[in-house]
Amino acid sequence: MGEFKVHRVRFFNYIPSGIRCMAYNSQLQKLALARLDGSVEIFNFSNNYFQEKVIPGNEARSIEAICWVGHDRLFSAGLNGEIIEYDLVRLCPKYTLDAFGGPIWALASNASNTHLAVGCEDGSVKLFEILPEKIQFERNLDRQKGRILSLSWHKSGTQIAVGSLDVIRVFSVKSGHAVQRILVDRCVTSSHNRECMVWSIGFLSDYTIVSADSTGKVQFWDSEKGTLIKTHPIAKSDVLSLAVAEPEDSIVVGTSEGTVVQFQFLPLQSGQQECQWLRTKTFKYHTHDVRAVVHTKTDLISGGLDTHLVIRPLMNKLETKSYEAALRKVTFPHRCLVSCAKKANLLLFQFPDQLELWRLGTSEAMGEPGDTLPVSKKPEKLLQLKRKGQDNIHCSAVSPCGGWLAYSTISALRLYRLQYENDNISINRVSKSVRFIAVKFTLSESTNKFYAPAYVSAIYAIKPMKSSFVRQLHLFSLGGGGCTKNDQCLATSTSEPVVLLAASVDGKWLAAASHTCEIEIYNLKQLKHHCTVPLYNCIPSAMAIHPQTNNLVIAYADQQIFEFSIPEKQYTDWSRKLQQQGLHILWMERDTPLTNVTFNPKEPSQIFLHDTYMICIIDKTLPLPCDQTQLYNQLTLKNVPEQLRQSQVHAFKICKLFQPLLHADLLDDDWLVVVERPLMDIYSQLPPPIRQKKFGT
Amino acid sequence: VLKCNNMASKRTRRAVAAAEKESGGKEEKKEVMESGGAGGNEKEEEEEDDDDDAAPDEVPFQQAREEAVRSIKQALESVKREKLLLKEKRRQRQELFKEQKKRKLLPEALLEEVAAASQTSFIKSLGNIHKVHSCEDSEKPEEGNSSEGSEEEDEEEALDNRLKESYMAVRLKDQGQINLQQERAQDFIQDCLYGPGSNRTTANELFSLSNKKCFNKKAAVQFVDKSWGLEKKQKAEKFKKKWLQKQGVGTN
Repeated sequence: MGEFKVHRVRFFNYIPSGIRCMAYNSQLQKLALARLDGSVEIFNFSNNYFQEKVIPGNEARSIEAICWVGHDRLFSAGLNGEIIEYDLVRLCPKYTLDAFGGPIWALASNASNTHLAVGCEDGSVKLFEILPEKIQFERNLDRQKGRILSLSWHKSGTQIAVGSLDVIRVFSVKSGHAVQRILVDRCVTSSHNRECMVWSIGFLSDYTIVSADSTGKVQFWDSEKGTLIKTHPIAKSDVLSLAVAEPEDSIVVGTSEGTVVQFQFLPLQSGQQECQWLRTKTFKYHTHDVRAVVHTKTDLISGGLDTHLVIRPLMNKLETKSYEAALRKVTFPHRCLVSCAKKANLLLFQFPDQLELWRLGTSEAMGEPGDTLPVSKKPEKLLQLKRKGQDNIHCSAVSPCGGWLAYSTISALRLYRLQYENDNISINRVSKSVRFIAVKFTLSESTNKFYAPAYVSAIYAIKPMKSSFVRQLHLFSLGGGGCTKNDQCLATSTSEPVVLLAASVDGKWLAAASHTCEIEIYNLKQLKHHCTVPLYNCIPSAMAIHPQTNNLVIAYADQQIFEFSIPEKQYTDWSRKLQQQGLHILWMERDTPLTNVTFNPKEPSQIFLHDTYMICIIDKTLPLPCDQTQLYNQLTLKNVPEQLRQSQVHAFKICKLFQPLLHADLLDDDWLVVVERPLMDIYSQLPPPIRQKKFGT
Repeated sequence: VLKCNNMASKRTRRAVAAAEKESGGKEEKKEVMESGGAGGNEKEEEEEDDDDDAAPDEVPFQQAREEAVRSIKQALESVKREKLLLKEKRRQRQELFKEQKKRKLLPEALLEEVAAASQTSFIKSLGNIHKVHSCEDSEKPEEGNSSEGSEEEDEEEALDNRLKESYMAVRLKDQGQINLQQERAQDFIQDCLYGPGSNRTTANELFSLSNKKCFNKKAAVQFVDKSWGLEKKQKAEKFKKKWLQKQGVGTN
């Protein structure tokens, strides 16, 4: 595997934001997830639960409800009283519309996707007509007293059930009048006679209403008669979220104690027709409040303030009881928040509202493998750069030499020049900055060129000339449309934005991958399109160009690895061999995607990769492992005598010493830098959980 | 006669009310006429109410009307007088304020000097707020002579005086209702989830439970993990030092 001296970095105080609400689109198999900081993430379930898109949040925006409309339209509403439709290509809000009802707590569209209903603070339910490209206010339902916390459409679209304080109401959509009013019990035992908040509500097609309220009960009501059918006390504190499966045979609720409870519509005796809602399963994967649950065809998905997204497959819905049935927990983003200036030993940390630039510590001491070296010079924070405006930072990068720094929000891209004089650091904004918005960019090494693909599906190559001057070198248009006068334009069919960029060290090649899984390669010397990598039906999660051979190594979200030779415009022999033999089954079953690919400058045949739980070095000279051989064999190799060792080694050398890993990179001088984020450090800064009495404590 | 007076006063009160509502003189009369015409019925009712056996003295209609009109006039006059009194009172108060202000102020010569020196910078520094004020001032018709205009201005000055230094004048328009509503909504959800009676604990306690329950019992997380509760620990350290010092002083 090789020996490295390791910088074990634990000073990146990244705390993911809590999950507020989720919506699942069964046609696209995508989950939209909104966090407390107003950011929206989209997980692609068909691509191994990969987090394919992130729409950065905004300080003024807080999302309370999110919903998919039709095939691929995403709406959200929040406490600032605005309904937002998102542009899923440009990854920013498409338009916002004030509902003029105060803060919005609930948002839902009807089954036929013609109308959107929002529940407002002032007690009104507002109907919006969904038109192509926009929504339009249609009318109010009768305004009632008390804020509306939840609402649910009946499948027929004729009635809306609304949960408010102490009361559930049913509105007729046609007349706009309340046709039923159901009082919900307050909690009598508690010393505080608080109002009962109906946090979530479901309206089933047989006119049964399911409510989840702050007294810890899940209640089933007959909406026609206005009577209670059944009460299930499931928690001592609030039941915060509720979701109904599409066939309406199962319901999942989440409580503030962190439990997720499933209810199923089952016959009382086997063989009988009569069915009843019964509480069946209880899961506890969360430590904090579960603010959002989703019930898909096969999974229960829950997310809450402990920032984990948990995907629990239901065993009875799966045919194969194998790896598919494993629980998945997504904690960290599937992209890099850290960038590393290899030559200058600098790390740039990206927070939603600021950037931090650190210089790594040093150590002169030598030691045996496994020793902890004493730090002779402590790591120091060189720079803390707060973002301008209210938009959160979308992406950031530092150039390998450490002389340039850039970040982008959805409204602007900013480029800075850094200069170091002894211990002082000076930062200058490159004033003639560029008027576009980057989704992902990279700073090239040798020529100080800077590549930023904007949302309009174009890549800009920019060369910062002096400290305060920028020259736009070239524009590669991917959209197929616009071609500017002086620029050569290469049209392809893609319209999706670029998600990944990789530039070669010699500044000759640039690879760009889009959401539609296409990877284009451009020749930067001749400023033209070079070739396209054969289309593979999965989103790439990381890629890099080898500094010597100019081979592009691509890691896909489904754990596949490909090596593509750019000069020869084809997959390399090693890649073909790997595909023929197939990757090891344990490798394929890892559940976090590879987030970084890099190369060992001393050993050209090695590829260095990492995901959240492991570091892997692939040595291309060694034989590939087959399914029978042990994949994680580093420990056993250590204990095996020298002669046997030769027969057991294989190409995948995996180290799981550092977990959970946000970033790992090889520095130039035999050093490895790993950025860890222990979960306990995150937990210590989360909001207070519910107190639970455990026997014997 | 007493009876009748009572009745008449009742009627006049009603009539005054009507007159105040609709200040048309003719309608007043009508009202009175109507009440007079319907006197028969009312009489009976009131007789029943009062439980008095004696029949009321007859009063000629003309006289009753005159009396009613007179009492209306009296009532109107009294209202006017009250208003005037109130005005007078206000004016006196204003003057008192003015005098108080003068008493508080520095000698005039000094004041003028200061005003002349700082006027320009003062205007600049006040910025928008002052502009708004001045706009309002200019919009008002110049009514230096009329007592009401000057009164209002004086009141404004008095208000300015009463405002403390830590207060700032802002336009509601800039602030917007949305922010306030949003804040209130956030407070609501915060109160629901974390307010009194929500039964919350700390992360330390939650994660220490497993340490406490496992076979080899361990200390709470905040003692196992050094990075937890740093602030509290530092505070405790400080307190300990102080306490030791105190003890040391005491023994010496």
